[in-house]
Amino acid sequence: MSSQWNIIQNDLLQEAVYWQELPSGLKVYVLPKKGYQKKYAVLATHFGSIDNCFSLEGEKDYVEVPEGVAHFLEHKLFEDVEGDVFNRFATLGASPNAYTSFTQTAYLFSCTDNFHENLDLLLNFVQDPYFTEETVQKEQGIIGQEISMFEDNPQWRIFFNLLDALYQKHPVQVDIAGTVESISRITPETLYTCYRTFYHPANMALFVVGGGIDLDEVGKQVAENYASRDYPPLGEIKRHFPEEPEEISRQKVAQEMVVSEPIIYIGFKDESPEGLKGKDKLRRELVTDLLMDIIFSPSEPLYNELYEEGLISEEFDAGYVLESNYAYTLLGGETRYPDKLYQRIMEALEKIKEEGFTEEQVRRHRRAKLGDFMRRFNSLEFIANNFLAYRFKGVDFFTYPEVLQEIRVEEVNRRLEEHLRLEKHAVSIIDKRGES
Amino acid sequence: MLGQPVVNELSNGMRLFWLPTDKFKTVSVKLFIHQELEDSLVTKNALLPSVLERGTQQHPDRISLRRELEDLYGAELSTDVGKKGERHLIEFSLEMVHENFFEEKDLLRRGLEVMEGLISNPLVEDEGFCRSYVEQEKVQLAQEIKSLVNNKIAYALERCVQEMCRGERYGLYKLGKVEDLEQINAVDLYEYSQELFSRNPVDIYLVGLQQQEEAESLVNDVFSLQRNTSIVEIPPTTVYREKEEVTRREEIMPVSQGNLVLGYRTNIPYDHELYYPLVMCNGILGGFPHSKLFQNVREKSSLAYFVFSRLERHKGVMISAAGIDPSQYENSLEIMQKQLEAISKGEITEEEMENTRIGLINQLRTQQDNPNSLVNFYLDAEIGGRKHGFSDVIEKIQQVTVDEVVEAASRIKLDTIYFLHGEEGGGSK
Repeated sequence: MSSQWNIIQNDLLQEAVYWQELPSGLKVYVLPKKGYQKKYAVLATHFGSIDNCFSLEGEKDYVEVPEGVAHFLEHKLFEDVEGDVFNRFATLGASPNAYTSFTQTAYLFSCTDNFHENLDLLLNFVQDPYFTEETVQKEQGIIGQEISMFEDNPQWRIFFNLLDALYQKHPVQVDIAGTVESISRITPETLYTCYRTFYHPANMALFVVGGGIDLDEVGKQVAENYASRDYPPLGEIKRHFPEEPEEISRQKVAQEMVVSEPIIYIGFKDESPEGLKGKDKLRRELVTDLLMDIIFSPSEPLYNELYEEGLISEEFDAGYVLESNYAYTLLGGETRYPDKLYQRIMEALEKIKEEGFTEEQVRRHRRAKLGDFMRRFNSLEFIANNFLAYRFKGVDFFTYPEVLQEIRVEEVNRRLEEHLRLEKHAVSIIDKRGES
Repeated sequence: MLGQPVVNELSNGMRLFWLPTDKFKTVSVKLFIHQELEDSLVTKNALLPSVLERGTQQHPDRISLRRELEDLYGAELSTDVGKKGERHLIEFSLEMVHENFFEEKDLLRRGLEVMEGLISNPLVEDEGFCRSYVEQEKVQLAQEIKSLVNNKIAYALERCVQEMCRGERYGLYKLGKVEDLEQINAVDLYEYSQELFSRNPVDIYLVGLQQQEEAESLVNDVFSLQRNTSIVEIPPTTVYREKEEVTRREEIMPVSQGNLVLGYRTNIPYDHELYYPLVMCNGILGGFPHSKLFQNVREKSSLAYFVFSRLERHKGVMISAAGIDPSQYENSLEIMQKQLEAISKGEITEEEMENTRIGLINQLRTQQDNPNSLVNFYLDAEIGGRKHGFSDVIEKIQQVTVDEVVEAASRIKLDTIYFLHGEEGGGSK
């Protein structure tokens, strides 16, 4: 049958991913992991919280859907005509879950027994939507409490407040779950519209990883499952995003909450990486991430000065995020003195920009980053979730070590000059409630 | 399936638990110093590892220490404190990529030497730890203790336990108390650490080396700290406690969601014959999406997004929690309490029983695919005085009957109802 596996090999990691594309367009990836008892499977669609306006090839108009619809749909797929899907996984001894990010929705389970039955259940429930007025209404109460939980989470609030300051139009600034108001506008029809567009196998991928997995059995099982369902070819999905200006939306945003100390995040808006492909995209991500490591890591002077002055705690962190059409740098943490910390960081960045980095710094941080990446390959979830997330942005995750090791000091210094520009930064602060 | 760890006593009385496997990319080493959870020690125990992490004689500051770790392909060295029953654990963890992946030798030895140096070779001045490190870490710890409130769910769980175990050692927060910090100084803390390192039980877990000889000689070589020959014994945890009336505590804060937490006394210790029935009972109640709490509070009544029950096996305390709309307090409380009542009345379906059983077995098996949970399993067994392996526990779970679950459930007593909520909305009367 369709046991035509392609292989992506990585000699450093000593791992191999086998993959094939089914006639329906579904991409299937399998990574057998020696010695593991656990098996983990994730079926994901390239449909996240930012995909609120879209059309299919041949359709005239764009459809606009309420914010939070991808996440709502994720919740609702767990219920079908027969009721609750959780219980059926439970009977098979599996632990199911799902998550929605800005750019994808993923359904998953892990198990040690009954792998093929569980895999069938996963494939079937994701392909069998069942939405009614009644079940949609029931979910509004549950998701209302989920939104409420995040409203009380200072890390979540400061993060979205920052995105709101960095972006003027891009839907990344809106909470993944939407708002109580926006989800009240979701109907079964809205869900079916999104489902028909984004849950076609050509817009989805499956990743299976774990011990004792028979490659050809998985291939055969998945192929048969999809062959039994008649999928007409999917036209191109057109995702419409409002034109996002290069400028930030506002320089500062603050909110008061019940916290022990204020929290500050500083963000730098980067230009859209839309033009970049594959390794070039990953390269920009890794160069910028390495840049942040070198500036803010505990092995470098700046972190230690700020720590010894009592301006930061060990939780202080910095990193870079790059998606299909937006990218930003983010840094910060808890501090007793947000204004002073802000000032110290901005001064330090100017000084670092003048001085640049040394060969030794780049070599050492590159080495640490490589080890960090490799250590994470203990986790089946890390491998599968990241592989698919990078797949959806057009990057082969297995090229990570190779791209990382190519990075040289000149490139990091060039990036240091062009990124972290003063006019592109915004600040988000959570103040202690009742104090200012 | 992995067998029991191979246990060996080093010449200085530390114990090595070796778990041979080649399935991980890493070698993981975890060192635990056992101490009694006790009012006068708790804050010192929490402060000590963060001071030690700041520098050693060999790497006198964080820059030098962290650079050495980065050079070892980003070895992760961290410290923490844990609480298991009324036992306090000071933890040091090292995780490194296995050196076979690189054409370089002695990476693991160098990593172990950095880790060991934190204990045997700390930076000392004037018969105490480096003063500025101690003062800075006191400020950091105070902030960390206070920052519990930033996570409302974790805060509510901890507050319920504090209220429930007021006056018991288990009621102490694992990070200690802000008011203790003022009295701690660099000399006292150093003296305390020397006694602790010399006299308290120390266990080292090693996951990921395959050759027994290599593992044992390396650890014996590196961990050569001189120790006292008589090791102190850690007093046991008190589990049983009669309670006349249910304690009700309410805390008001400007928050959007209400956090309702129920604290139960199971009165069943870890080494009791009803322990595995209790594990099943907790699973049926709130360990899974198929459990009674999830099905009835969330799926049937749409009252919560998260609702669960968990067991602290060493103290025999069971905690149920849900995030709810404050106006739904009475309703939620009633439904939550009814679920445990139902179990103690034997209202357990065949499906609930079997789904929980295989769910727990699945968890036990998958635990073996993660170095940290693997170590935690054996550490729990060691502390609880149950020297069993994974297959023993799976067998026990397989044998639990409905009657035993009912028997375990009927011993469980509600002790404390804690509710955190905003000013408007309902609340306990």
